[in-house]
Amino acid sequence: MNGISFLMDHLPLLIPLIILQFTLMITALIHVIKHPDYRFGTKGMWIFIVVILQLIGPVFYFVFGKGDNE
Amino acid sequence: MKNIYYFSKKEFLESWRTSRLLILMIIFLILGIMNPLIAILTPDIIQMSFGDSLPVNIPEPTSLDSWGQFYQNMTQMGLIVITLLFSGTMSGEVSKGTLINLVTKGLKRSTVVISKSIYLILQWSFCMLLAFFVTWAYTLYYFTDDNSPHVFLAVFPLWIFGILLITTILLTSTVSKNSYEGLLLTGGFVVLLFVMNIFDKFERYNPITLTSENINFLQGASNIGNYMPAMLISFFLSLLFIYLSIVILNKKKL
Repeated sequence: MNGISFLMDHLPLLIPLIILQFTLMITALIHVIKHPDYRFGTKGMWIFIVVILQLIGPVFYFVFGKGDNE
Repeated sequence: MKNIYYFSKKEFLESWRTSRLLILMIIFLILGIMNPLIAILTPDIIQMSFGDSLPVNIPEPTSLDSWGQFYQNMTQMGLIVITLLFSGTMSGEVSKGTLINLVTKGLKRSTVVISKSIYLILQWSFCMLLAFFVTWAYTLYYFTDDNSPHVFLAVFPLWIFGILLITTILLTSTVSKNSYEGLLLTGGFVVLLFVMNIFDKFERYNPITLTSENINFLQGASNIGNYMPAMLISFFLSLLFIYLSIVILNKKKL
């Protein structure tokens, strides 16, 4: 399997996927930084989780980590 | 009627401003894209992990693999994300006391439950259709076979099951004090359905079959009419759960 030709073949799938994952990460990251009152954990921990764990990390943050008072 | 509209609008604004809706949309879009991608990549991954020593030929992926991924991802990831994000919908309002103002000003409690269920079902339908159409578009683009003729028939049972799950979340969220309790109860209900699935006699009546037989519906291998009882039961259970939520919320101290 040739890496470059493989990438070119599946660009219509890969580009939107990367953009979406990135949007999700940025949305969560902005929220983590702007609202420093978490249910548990520290800012550093949540930034780590949101950036490293793709897809699962942001969901976890919004469900379990986000503070109640908006 | 007007109150239902206004309360649903409030729910929409809330989910938009807490970026819940955005998260849901992005996740279901990602799920939609991932299905055909995984279907395309699977043979290559197997080839890479076994090298050339693999004696059997791996068959080319077909549209069925893509749809198989869709039903696997939707039931494992999609429904779980929905459950997690919606789990505190009623208990959160009760514990924060945000309903007190509205109810003392004359908003009926039944209106709260009905508009919440309408909005949650709308959200689920929208997200599911999003993932569905993305998967469908890519599947048509990458796989030009006609192995999967009944696309809409196959996805309909999943939608029905989603509605049952959402009304279950609404009920458990009304019963419990916080979202964790609600999650636990919803999980318990789903586990109960799985346990009941062990008995073959109940298979046609068990709502969980609506999420496990989709590939057969897709190929036309299994007649959807046989599973009508499961759909009807899901539908009536949903109505019952909404009614029970109203009854319980009426008795609950806000």
